[in-house]
Amino acid sequence: MKWLWLQDLVRKPKDAQYAKIVLDRYRLGIKAHGEIRGARIIPGSEQCEKAMSVAGKTYLPDDAPLIPIQGCSLPGGCCCSYTPVMKYEPQMGEAAQPEPVHTV
Amino acid sequence: MLEALRKVPLYVMNRKFGWPKMLPMSITISPSPRCNSRCLTCNIWMKREDELSLEEWDKTFQSMGDTPFWFTISGGEPFMNKDIVETAQSIYKHCHPGIINIPTNSLMHKIIQPKVATMCETCPDTQFIINLSLDGVGDKHDHIRGIAGNFEKFEANYRALRELDYPNLSIGIHSVISRFNVDDIHELYDYAFGLKPDSYITEIAEQRVELDTVGISITPSRDKYSAAIDELIARVELQQFRGISKVTEAFRVRYYKLVKRILAEETQVIPCYAGWASAQIYANGDVWACCVRADNMLNLRSVDYDFKRVWFSKEADTIRASIKAKECHCPLANASYTNMLMHAPTLAKVGSKVAWESLPLVSGRHNKDAAAVPAVTVSTIPGGRK
Repeated sequence: MKWLWLQDLVRKPKDAQYAKIVLDRYRLGIKAHGEIRGARIIPGSEQCEKAMSVAGKTYLPDDAPLIPIQGCSLPGGCCCSYTPVMKYEPQMGEAAQPEPVHTV
Repeated sequence: MLEALRKVPLYVMNRKFGWPKMLPMSITISPSPRCNSRCLTCNIWMKREDELSLEEWDKTFQSMGDTPFWFTISGGEPFMNKDIVETAQSIYKHCHPGIINIPTNSLMHKIIQPKVATMCETCPDTQFIINLSLDGVGDKHDHIRGIAGNFEKFEANYRALRELDYPNLSIGIHSVISRFNVDDIHELYDYAFGLKPDSYITEIAEQRVELDTVGISITPSRDKYSAAIDELIARVELQQFRGISKVTEAFRVRYYKLVKRILAEETQVIPCYAGWASAQIYANGDVWACCVRADNMLNLRSVDYDFKRVWFSKEADTIRASIKAKECHCPLANASYTNMLMHAPTLAKVGSKVAWESLPLVSGRHNKDAAAVPAVTVSTIPGGRK
């Protein structure tokens, strides 16, 4: 199942708080040794050159471009969103990383 | 239960014509996203919210009246919520539901048994279903749930809860079938069925906004899931059930078949009633049609905790219109069981299956084959995790 409709659904204009809330969450996830290793940007529209230029890469939360993306060309506002990148998801040219077991 | 069934035609009319106005019969609440698991299939534990207080929840339940028949107290890990007993008692006091369903990861097993006992004693007319999460056997479970020793705690929790003897308590096991365990599913089934829980239910790992898993590959392939679920259906169909369990197991088998069709056809195979008959209230008071979309109707704090003002708002209508237009589809278990209840052809199939299997000759055949597989004792209700 491709869940394309869900990726479309999250393509809504984001307010200024969005990036702080989500990236803080990912910082916590990495600090607490979760499976998350970074953030990726789901572009709001393939027509937006700015969004496409930052999509597809894995960022540490501190380095991730802030959403709303500056210079976004969508008339209704930036519809990009973050998605976590997990350690078990291989990136292009990378091997999957081992999945550690944590203790409480 | 009959009271809830009596309302089914009203929900069907409500979805079709917008009348009569109905409150949901199934409500999931997530008082806190905090969780001490680190599951490969879920990121909710990273969330922090301005959570509703017990007093705010109490006002909310008061505004609902006794329409909701089924409550799920979800999370995060529900037993990390220090007010879980009081929350259940508040639901009981204001809504008198038939069922309160609580999933747990078993990590806090020492406090779970006494809290469940208190809930069963103080809410005697509600059936409690405690569903213990189990995604693998031994180290496999620990690996998927991200916590060493979790499997041992699952076993300790199961044993402790089994010691409780309340007529309004059912202990279930719930497995999420993901790409991380679909290849080891026989082992998981053998173990889970061998424990003879009151119910054994599975749900497919799916992308959800609530869990922050949109875009993450956790769902097993359609072929592998189909093989896993066919085996489960075969095991269930070899069992001998009596009374209401015969009905609930028939629903469960229909659900598994429905999931296969949703995966194959990628559409709402039967109409979805999330937003009409089922709803979710998130930790911060946002009201959702479901946790997959998690699009907010309104926040309860903005309407003085009056659930009706949210439910009958134009914002809620907008979300319902999107669902009705089939702009979404998913195999979410809680919504799917409600959807099947609202779907006349599914009800007819369940009815005919139950009637057929009640024939003495057919029952006898099942009896003979049942010896070949581990038995599930009594399965009360088909629902599951949120």
